[in-house]
Amino acid sequence: MDTQLDSFFAALSDPTRRAVIERLTQGPAPVSELHAPHDMALPSFLKHLRRLETAGLIRSEKTGRVRSVRLAPEPLRQAEDWLNRQRKLWEGRTDRLQALAEALERKPS
Amino acid sequence: MTDFDPTLDLRLERMIAARPETLWRCWTDPELIKQWFCPVPWRVWHAEVDARPGGIFLTAMEGPDGERHDGEPGCVLAAEPGRLFSFTDSLSPGYRPRGSGFMTGIISFTADGDGTRYLAQVLHGTAEDRQKHLEMGFEEGWGIAADQLAALAATL
Repeated sequence: MDTQLDSFFAALSDPTRRAVIERLTQGPAPVSELHAPHDMALPSFLKHLRRLETAGLIRSEKTGRVRSVRLAPEPLRQAEDWLNRQRKLWEGRTDRLQALAEALERKPS
Repeated sequence: MTDFDPTLDLRLERMIAARPETLWRCWTDPELIKQWFCPVPWRVWHAEVDARPGGIFLTAMEGPDGERHDGEPGCVLAAEPGRLFSFTDSLSPGYRPRGSGFMTGIISFTADGDGTRYLAQVLHGTAEDRQKHLEMGFEEGWGIAADQLAALAATL
């Protein structure tokens, strides 16, 4: 799992690739549509897509002449788990901080 | 300024019925930070905070069976009493780069009526950094402890 998580975050370390993921959260799209908003040559863009596919973030399939791309949900969920655990930790931490600070003011030392 | 990335970072905002100065003390007085920083059954057995830029920020943890995760001392980045406290575990005290670490905390306190608008932003590094954090191993235990505590609290 951790190796997969590694490649996941490496894949997301680039703004173009993050933009692709963001677009795909709204649903599958053909490569041409994903490429359109990016000011770069198609071969360079395809490299980004390959990187995302290798990381297991997206899947693509060809129907006729159109290659369609969609999100692969599994790694996204794993990453969310990691972040969720951090969130839980920080929420607990903030609960305890709040309780302590409010108690200190009720009982001035 | 902060480059906030929702896939990596956390943002917690809360109204707290205490003055900014009190919250500042809770963050920067080692005896106080020991009381809240770590979820039971873990505890902070040793804390050092030198609240000025370049100062040390260290919270060393001890588990229920006496196992210790002292970690490396981190570095204070910004310290404006009662307003802003920021630190990272990616630098040693005195700003020396360490090549490890995974997070930066940016904590701000804004007076609002009798209380404080409290904002904690936690920025995380990418893959390799969190890998090291996972290897520290106690993170899972923390999650479980928080769940147990929530279950207990619900019965009280």
